[in-house]
Amino acid sequence: MKLLLAEDEPDVQLIARLSLKKAGFTVVTVGNGVEVLERVAQEQPDAILLDWMMPDMDGYETCRRLKADPATASIPVIFLTARVQEAEVARAMALGAVGCIGKPFDALALGTQVLELLKAT
Amino acid sequence: MTIRNRIFTVVGVVIAAAFLQTLIVLQVENRRAAAADALDRAIWRLENQADLGRIIIELDASQRIVDARGQPALAAERDRVWGLYERVMARLPESFDSDESRRELAAIDALMRQWRATPPGGDSAALMARIRPDFDRFQTRERSRLGEERIKVNSQSLQSTLLTLAIPAVAIVMLLMLVAFVARILLDPLKAIATSAKTISGGNFDVSLPQGSRDEIGDLVRAFREMITAVQRRERQVTEARIKAEREHQRLQATIETVPVALVIVDAETGRIVLQNRTAGALIGHEPGDDAAREAFWRAFCVTTRDGTPVDVRTWGAEGVLRGQVIVGEELVVKHPDGREIPILVSAAPLREDDGRISGAVAAFQDITSLYEVDRLKSEFVSIVSHELRTPLTSIKGALQLLIDERLASDPDHAMLLNVALSNTERLVRIINDILDISKIEAGKLELNARPHSVSELVKQSLQNVEPIAHGALVALRADIEPGVPAVQVDLDRAIQVIVNLLSNALKVAPPRSEVTLAARRAGDGFVAFSVTDRGRGIEPDKIGLLFQKFQQLDGANTRKARGTGLGLAIVKALVEMQGGQVTVDSTVGHGSTFTVTVPVAGDQGLGASGQ
Repeated sequence: MKLLLAEDEPDVQLIARLSLKKAGFTVVTVGNGVEVLERVAQEQPDAILLDWMMPDMDGYETCRRLKADPATASIPVIFLTARVQEAEVARAMALGAVGCIGKPFDALALGTQVLELLKAT
Repeated sequence: MTIRNRIFTVVGVVIAAAFLQTLIVLQVENRRAAAADALDRAIWRLENQADLGRIIIELDASQRIVDARGQPALAAERDRVWGLYERVMARLPESFDSDESRRELAAIDALMRQWRATPPGGDSAALMARIRPDFDRFQTRERSRLGEERIKVNSQSLQSTLLTLAIPAVAIVMLLMLVAFVARILLDPLKAIATSAKTISGGNFDVSLPQGSRDEIGDLVRAFREMITAVQRRERQVTEARIKAEREHQRLQATIETVPVALVIVDAETGRIVLQNRTAGALIGHEPGDDAAREAFWRAFCVTTRDGTPVDVRTWGAEGVLRGQVIVGEELVVKHPDGREIPILVSAAPLREDDGRISGAVAAFQDITSLYEVDRLKSEFVSIVSHELRTPLTSIKGALQLLIDERLASDPDHAMLLNVALSNTERLVRIINDILDISKIEAGKLELNARPHSVSELVKQSLQNVEPIAHGALVALRADIEPGVPAVQVDLDRAIQVIVNLLSNALKVAPPRSEVTLAARRAGDGFVAFSVTDRGRGIEPDKIGLLFQKFQQLDGANTRKARGTGLGLAIVKALVEMQGGQVTVDSTVGHGSTFTVTVPVAGDQGLGASGQ
C-alpha cells in the first residue's frame, strides 16, 4: 500500500516515514502541498497523509484542490494535525478527509491508526 | 449695679429731692407766714398803742379839767376813758413778741395805775409828766421794732420768691440729667448693638461693641457677642462643609470623568440619562432632549447578548435594575448606529432614596473590544505554542519509540537510558497537554461535546487507559457499577480524561497489592457519581483545600513518584463543573481516599431519575 506523506518538518517526516514503513506501507514524502499536487498523478498513492500547517500551501487548501480534481478526488486523505478540536475535525471531514490523527502521534501506533481509518471508509 | 437698680436709685433721688424741695418750700412759707403774721400783729399793736397814747392824753386832759374845774360830769367821762384804757391794756401785752416790750409797757401801766390811784389834789400831773415821755419813748422804740420786723418779712418774701423760681429750674435740670443718664446707659449701647446687627447681617463680622458693663446692657452685649461668635462659628462650619462637599464633588466628578468605564445615571421616572461621563459619551453619544428624537436615537442601537439574542435595553433596565436587581459583569454586544460593534461588560445597580424608593439606576459599562482582542491573541498564542512545542516532541517521542522497538539498543544500559528519555518525553507531552487544557478552560475556549454515553463504556475505557500503569504498580483495578445506572450526558474524551486522572492519582498512592476501585452510582437529582477509592495513606484534612489548586503537588512522601504536573485535579474540577457536576474528596489518614465526581444523567433518563 502506497502512501503520499506531506510534512514540512524533516524530523517529523522521518519518524512518520519510518513508523509507516515499519507497519508495511510504501511511503513517498514531500515537504508541502504544492509538491503533493505535483507528485500525486505520478505516484498514484492509495492514500495521502497531510500535515495541516505547511508553508506554500497548507493541508486544508491541498485537500480542497485534491477533492476538486476528479483524477484525485477518490484518494482518501488523512490529516496529521496538532489541532484535534471538534471544529477542526469537522472542517476536515467536511472537505472529504477520512479522518484526523493528532500530533504528537504515537510512532508505534501510526500505521495501525492509518489502516483503521482507511478500513472504515 | 444693674440698670434697674440705677433707675430705682435715680428715681429715689429725684423723689427725695422733690420731697426735700417741698419741705424747704413749706418751711420757707411757714417762716414767711409767721413773719407776715408778726407784722400784722405789730401793726395792730401799734394801732392799739396809738389808741393807748390817745387814751392817756385824753385821761390826762380829763383829769386836768376835773382838777381845774371840778366838774363831776367830766369825772364820769374820765372814768369811761379809763374803762377803754383797761380794755386796751387787757389785750395789748399778750400781743407783744418781746418780753422787753412787755416789761416797758408794764412799767408804764404801773405808773398809770399809780396815776389813777392818786387822790384828788395829789400830784397826778407830775406823774403824768413822767408817763407821757416814757410812753412816747416806748412808742418810738416799738416803731423802730416794727421797721426791723418789716425788713425781716421782706427778706423772707424774697427768699420765698427765689425758692419758687429755683425749684422748677432744679427740677428741669434733674430731668435733663435723667434723660442724659438714660441715653448714656440705655440708648447709646442699644444703638451700637442695632448698628452692629445691621453690619453683621451684611456679612461683616468685624464690629466694635460697647464695653460690657455689669448691668443688663452688659448682659445683652455679652449675649450679643456670644451670638456673633456662635453665628461666626456656624458660618465657618457651614462654609467648611460646603467647601468640603464641593471638593468631594469635584473629586468624584474627576473620578467619574477619568475612569475608563462608561458611567450613566438614569432617572427612574423619565427614563432619561441625567448624568454620563466622557467615556459614555464617546461610546454611545448623547441622547437628544426631544422625546421623539430620543426614541429614534435609542431605536438605532441594537443590543444583543454575546450569542446574538436581541436585548431590549430599556425593558431589561425597567424589569431588572429598577426593581432592585443588581447586575454584575453581564456581557452584551452593542451594534452602534455608526456601524461599530462593541462588546461591553455591563454592571448596573439601582439608586435608592433615603426611604428606599428606587429613584434611578447607575450603569457602568466597559468597552471590552481590547479584551476580546487580547483573548483572541492569547488563544492564538496558545495554539501556536502548542504546535511549536508538540512538533519537536513528536519527533523525539517517535524516534525513541522506534529505537526501542527496533531493539537497536542491545546494551541494557542504553535500553534503560532510552526508556528514561521516552518516559520523560511522555511526561513533557502530558504537561503541555495539561497546560493547554487549563489555558483553554480559563479562556473559555474549551468546547465540550456532551452526548449520551453508557456508564459501563466510560468505566471500561477509563480502566483500559490505566491498565498498564496498574500492572506496573502491582495494583488491582476493580469496577463497581450499580445495576441499572442510567446513561450520562458527557463529552466522552473529557469524561475519560477526568476519570483517568483520578485513577492515575489513585495508582500513584496505592500501595502494592492493594486495590483501586472505580464505582458508579446514582447520586440523585439527575446525577451519576463516579468514585475512585484507593487504600493509600490518605490526605491530611488541612491539605485537602490545596488539592484543586493549580500547580499544587502534595508532599512527595505521600506519593510514590511525584510525576504529575500539578494541574490534574484543577482540570478535573473545571471539566466536571463545566458539565454541571462537582468534585468531592473523602479521605481518612491511614485508610485512603475517595474522590467522587458527579455528571448529569442523559436526556429523558435524567428527567426520570430526578423524578424518582
